[in-house]
Amino acid sequence: MTPVIELQDLRVKLGRREILKGISCRLGTSGAGKAIGLLGPNGAGKSTLILTMLGFHKPAAGSARILGFDCHTQSREVKSRVGYMPENEALIADMNAVRFLRIMAELSGLPARVALEKAHEVLFHVGLGEARYRPLGTYSLGMKQMAKLAQAIIHGPELVILDEPTNGLDPAARARMLKLVAEMKNEHGMNILLCSHLLRDVEEVCDEVVILKDGAVVHHANLEEERRANRRFVELEVAGDDRNFAAALSEHGAEGVNEGGGRWRIVLPPQVELDILWHLVGRENLDVRRLTHRRDSLEEIFLKAVGHIQRTTGDSAAPAEEVAANGRL
Amino acid sequence: MAVYRRGYQRYQGPLTGRWDRLFVLPRFAWERLMQQRLVAIFFVVATFWPIACALFVYLSHHLELLRGFGDEVAKFLQINGEFFYIFMSAQAVFAIILSAFAGPSLVAPDLANGALPLYFSRPMTRFTYALSRMLVLVGVLSPVTWIPGVLLFLMQSGMAGWTWFTENYRLGLSLFFGFLLWILLVSLVALASSAYVRWRMVAGALVLGIFFILAGAAELANEVLRVEWASAMNPARSVNQIWRAMLGLEPFPGPDEWQCAICIAAMTTVLILIIQRKLRPVEVVS
Repeated sequence: MTPVIELQDLRVKLGRREILKGISCRLGTSGAGKAIGLLGPNGAGKSTLILTMLGFHKPAAGSARILGFDCHTQSREVKSRVGYMPENEALIADMNAVRFLRIMAELSGLPARVALEKAHEVLFHVGLGEARYRPLGTYSLGMKQMAKLAQAIIHGPELVILDEPTNGLDPAARARMLKLVAEMKNEHGMNILLCSHLLRDVEEVCDEVVILKDGAVVHHANLEEERRANRRFVELEVAGDDRNFAAALSEHGAEGVNEGGGRWRIVLPPQVELDILWHLVGRENLDVRRLTHRRDSLEEIFLKAVGHIQRTTGDSAAPAEEVAANGRL
Repeated sequence: MAVYRRGYQRYQGPLTGRWDRLFVLPRFAWERLMQQRLVAIFFVVATFWPIACALFVYLSHHLELLRGFGDEVAKFLQINGEFFYIFMSAQAVFAIILSAFAGPSLVAPDLANGALPLYFSRPMTRFTYALSRMLVLVGVLSPVTWIPGVLLFLMQSGMAGWTWFTENYRLGLSLFFGFLLWILLVSLVALASSAYVRWRMVAGALVLGIFFILAGAAELANEVLRVEWASAMNPARSVNQIWRAMLGLEPFPGPDEWQCAICIAAMTTVLILIIQRKLRPVEVVS
């Protein structure tokens, strides 16, 4: 299957500085309607990567392909399949939203009559229906973000690039924006590339995440797999005589390590549900003090990737695949 | 179903052609310009001189109406290259003023509001963007330049007959191509000004300034340095010299039409470079 984004040793120089230093990755290989999070500290090269994919910067070496088309040599094909919501102000202040969206839709190739219909349709969709004839300059920050989203999706692109879509939004507007983004991928089958500093937003919406640091990819994770893997790792604290508990666990193919004081670390096999632990604890007459899943938050993944947390095997925050590869706790 | 009820659906229908899209920006811009009362008034005012010239052509073929004024008037009422040159010179001034009104509102708002990334993230290049913005000015300036000029020429041809037309078709071509050259220069000045200063009012003033101040500066340089070549710095004067050559008239003193053409080509190149440099989706600070 053609990946949504494919980067091969992509190098981009701005002036004499090399901003992207040979990035290679394949993103969005698991079908349509996926969201990819693009993360990285300031100056990591996220914006440069986005602008290169839009054909605004010429790669010094390597290539970037979107939906199978080269971003530099087949820029027209790429741009007709992409919607872009920039981070900065980009709306023409003295123009009303309907007119602005009509222009953007027609420039994307929609016939004039369809463009007018779509302008109204998409403005209602993002919640600007009542304000659609107001000049864009009179919009609040949240409304402007919605208007930028509207222009990015008016032509029904296959990939929507969102650069900090929840910047400056209050909690209600942020929730609405994330709901719209989730709808775009789940109901309309659009692929999303979400660049954000807000890790919770990325965690909430994205299926995959790629982390950049100093112009290089330092981590690429499938969040869905991480979540699934995390569900298999359990920390349990019990009171009572737990000497037979390890044997009880092994009856169901689970492995457990007693850390003393009633604290256990357990790995459940993929087909075994968590309920079995409650059953075993009851059978062994143990009292449960605490039961937690290990949960690698995106923040932990991010901090490890950019080097703010040391990677150690056996650390509870270690990536799931590393522990699983060892096969033991 | 009402649009607010049916919800968003991805568009997956046919797309318009590449050349159709070129006219999207001009269409919206013309619509917007025509809503401005000042532009509408200016269009009306710009028709006065062509109407006066049409009357002149009519009278030149109906001298019996002027029998009481004597032979001197009959000599004055001649339709030749000089007549069309005077017509072109007057309309050229209208073209400058109109471009100072219309030009800055085309690019400056896009730059000032940072809208270029939205345009260029669509299937649109810098060239097609600049071309479609220029088409706006071509559309606005044509009704005050070559269209009345060619109509005037056709009117004269109709009244004077086929022989006059075959002997003077060069005048018609000169009107058309001479005005096209002027439209190109004026449009580039307007686009470059609005791309450079980004502020609509200042850009409009700059358009007028480039033509009128350069004219003054060229004359000043000629006087101070006691030379004639400085006239080439004046774009209007240079184009006028080219027009005179095209219409087969006696040239002005100073740089000839070829030297003026080189100056105009150099100015055009500089203006294109300014536009190319300024119309970028992102600024790169190296």
